[in-house]
Amino acid sequence: MTLNRRDFMKMSGLTALSIGLASRIQWSGTRTVQAAQSLTSDHLHILHRTTWGASAQDIQRIQEMGIEGYIDWQLNPEMIPDPRIDAFVADEYPRLNYGFRELAAVTQEDYGATYFAAIYGRFYRAAYSERQLYEMVVEFWNDHFNVPNHDLVVEKMIDDREVIRRHALGKFRNMLFASAQSRAMLYYLDQAWSYAEHPNENYAREVMELHTLGVSGGYTEDDVKALARILTGWTVRNDWNDSESGFYFDGEVHDWDEKVFLGRSFPAGRGIEEGLEALDMLATHPSTAAYIARKLVRRFVADDPPQALIDRVAQNFQDTGGDIRSMMRMILLSDEFMAARMQRFKRPIHFMVSILRAFGDKFVTYDPNWWVWSTEALGQMPYAWGPPNGYPDVSAAWISTSTLLERWNLGFAMPMAVEDWWEGGHLDMDTLVPHAQTAGELVDNVSKVVLGGDLPQDDRAQLIGFVTGGDDRVLEDWERADKIQAVMGLLFNSPYFQWY
Amino acid sequence: MNISRRGLLKTAGAAAIVGVSQSLFPAWMPKLVFSPKAHAQTSHDVLVAIFQRGGMDGLNTVVPYAEGANYYDRRPTIAIPEPDGSERAAIDLNGFFGLHPSLLPLKEVYDAGALTVIHAAGSPDPTRSHFDAMEFMEKGIPGDKVTSTGWINRHLQTTAFQNESPFRAVGMGTMMPSALRGPVSAMTLKSISDFHLGGRDDQLASIQATIARMYRIDVPTNLLESQAGKVFQTVDILRALSAVEYVPANGAVYPDSDFGMALRQVAQLIKAGVGLEVACIDIGGWDTHEYQGGVEGEMAGLLSNLGQGMAAFYTDLRDFMGNVTVVSMSEFGRRVDENASQGTDHGHGNVMFVMGGGSTGQIYADWPTLAPEALDDGDLEITTDYRDVLSEILIKRLGNPAVDQIFPRYTPNLHGIIADR
Repeated sequence: MTLNRRDFMKMSGLTALSIGLASRIQWSGTRTVQAAQSLTSDHLHILHRTTWGASAQDIQRIQEMGIEGYIDWQLNPEMIPDPRIDAFVADEYPRLNYGFRELAAVTQEDYGATYFAAIYGRFYRAAYSERQLYEMVVEFWNDHFNVPNHDLVVEKMIDDREVIRRHALGKFRNMLFASAQSRAMLYYLDQAWSYAEHPNENYAREVMELHTLGVSGGYTEDDVKALARILTGWTVRNDWNDSESGFYFDGEVHDWDEKVFLGRSFPAGRGIEEGLEALDMLATHPSTAAYIARKLVRRFVADDPPQALIDRVAQNFQDTGGDIRSMMRMILLSDEFMAARMQRFKRPIHFMVSILRAFGDKFVTYDPNWWVWSTEALGQMPYAWGPPNGYPDVSAAWISTSTLLERWNLGFAMPMAVEDWWEGGHLDMDTLVPHAQTAGELVDNVSKVVLGGDLPQDDRAQLIGFVTGGDDRVLEDWERADKIQAVMGLLFNSPYFQWY
Repeated sequence: MNISRRGLLKTAGAAAIVGVSQSLFPAWMPKLVFSPKAHAQTSHDVLVAIFQRGGMDGLNTVVPYAEGANYYDRRPTIAIPEPDGSERAAIDLNGFFGLHPSLLPLKEVYDAGALTVIHAAGSPDPTRSHFDAMEFMEKGIPGDKVTSTGWINRHLQTTAFQNESPFRAVGMGTMMPSALRGPVSAMTLKSISDFHLGGRDDQLASIQATIARMYRIDVPTNLLESQAGKVFQTVDILRALSAVEYVPANGAVYPDSDFGMALRQVAQLIKAGVGLEVACIDIGGWDTHEYQGGVEGEMAGLLSNLGQGMAAFYTDLRDFMGNVTVVSMSEFGRRVDENASQGTDHGHGNVMFVMGGGSTGQIYADWPTLAPEALDDGDLEITTDYRDVLSEILIKRLGNPAVDQIFPRYTPNLHGIIADR
């Protein structure tokens, strides 16, 4: 969503303020933050966009591998060992890897356990997987092919693994086909109940509007109706104990008459194959290439995505048959990408996970429920967005009074884990932050942990003032211990940590 | 003691000095909320939208007892008896409909002409999915799964009256209701006394001041910084509000429930004149598939909470009610037939209430009857689109005629359900 000025005025409640002030408003990003050179180096910028938060280890790695080496390493997640996640799944949440029937069976026993595993698993992988870029891309496709798990906790867990995670860096066409035959999507958009006599147009509409062509991608209402008829009979054999359970083409309810779809004649007498043909048309359509390219560039470059890059990525889509890895590589190595620093606003889960990543292995979670409730309080519980368009992608959707306060309170609460002030976990502050003699060193050391670099002078002086009540000076031990948590909280809550 | 506007201004000033230095807000504080317009002079009502989540059984809420066998034969264990003057029967309204006895507190409001009942109302989309039906209703576009803005947000976008208060649109609770989602910034508020910055008490003032400076809230240059400023305004105002114990007026007693607490806090915000235009309040638990009960039981308890809460709100705000309109809705009604578990399954037509300034005091129903042939696949038919009721409120009470943008692709029928201001 690009904001015009009038929208912005309404949103920020600035209508009554002077024109002079309003004329200074920038529409995205923040000048102050972008000007902080120590925090927006090439390496940090790349890590901001390819990880859920730059940890000290990430910074060391990109220094060793170089920019291109690091990006290519991350673009091949299947080559990156991920022992912590493997252990998490194997030891704690094995149902994340269960097949449908097995998962359905344990879910009948304990619905809440599956629901919790889905949400916490999403969160944990983002925080602790070595395959950071992959987890970012997974998030993108979960939004793109959004299915909330309210009523579909089993189906969505399977969809997450077999549709999204399996194809996240593969071919777009394969993901589209997998999604179209996924129980979760078939139920969610009512395709499972679409019959020749009463075709349900819900999926047919959304697959064009949201998954492939885009709303102005050149289809008509007649195309929606035709595609709905073409897909009649695409349903689910719905018995949790049935070994045949899953996607199923039901010829009994299929519309076998002729149709015209996107200008092409579909002759009478064809069954599932005409649906496959229609999806193939969508998967290879130039509008799909342009639409997917725009969304990827918006997510990974800027809220207001540069058109020249979109055009090149769309061409890449067409040249490679929708190869997502190839498109991602093009984006991440582009000049436009390198120029767009601190122009994306962290969504709530990103904000939370990036705090955990700053803590690294110096933090132990005691109570994972805490994370789940926090995502809810901040308005981004995983798999909870109702409409099929996925959680909003741009800053304007996420910046609001109440969520900002919730963020700040989380940012202040988490460093207090050093004394177990809250029960979510424990932070070993002494090994996380190197010992500091002076207030200035304290601010710098915490800043390096949280932001990966030094604060600009004016804000550094603010924080030093917070610590000493005045100028920089040597700190007593008690002073340092007394202030370090709040300094860290202030940095988590600073504008520098909200943008990436 | 009631907090007066004057009292609030004083405490707000004091709090600002104790908390963040007032000098941080030169552009903001004087302009904020304390609009010179007194309540009586405003051009529009405050709207309070109550959403009953789960699908309320409208047929046991406002009982069409005069339907006789069409109602009683189909609900052998849960029907509400015809009015007989006792506490174990419906409370007659007009010789055809009667209130569930747990709604007794609302009878007084009805008798005062401040409660309007709309029956056989609802959202026309046939879905029986709670989630879809709620989304459709709150987005204001039945059947549309793409639009991501809510009808109330579109109202705030299109209304001529623009108000810079951070309290302009408030969702009571933790999650932003879909009706409020969209480009106009709304806030969620769980508790007036809990809306404050965390951290150690002894550090709070300096933490706040440091954050405020890092966000340059005195000269904001982007959306984030301007919203950060709003957080501080909100914190200061709510601190001032919660500094004085709130005592409801006229002896009103709110039920001890989340719903009662939410209504009480909305009343507090309205009286404080902080610029509230719209508040959304949820009340859940209406999905009564099993052991719903009749005169007593599960649903009776839900209705008791609803009725006591609304009546307390009315009593508390009696002097303000000419400028407040409350409307209630639920995503769908329930089947006419009781099910095998002595409950009811998802249905269609339902009851809406309108209370306060917009009320005409009537019982409005283009009643389709419960005769078997009149039912919509076993359910009460919807003869009044809920958007008709909301459109009249928007036009007559909120001064916003742009219903074509608030409810796109729909032309409302104005039935004269709502009173002019």
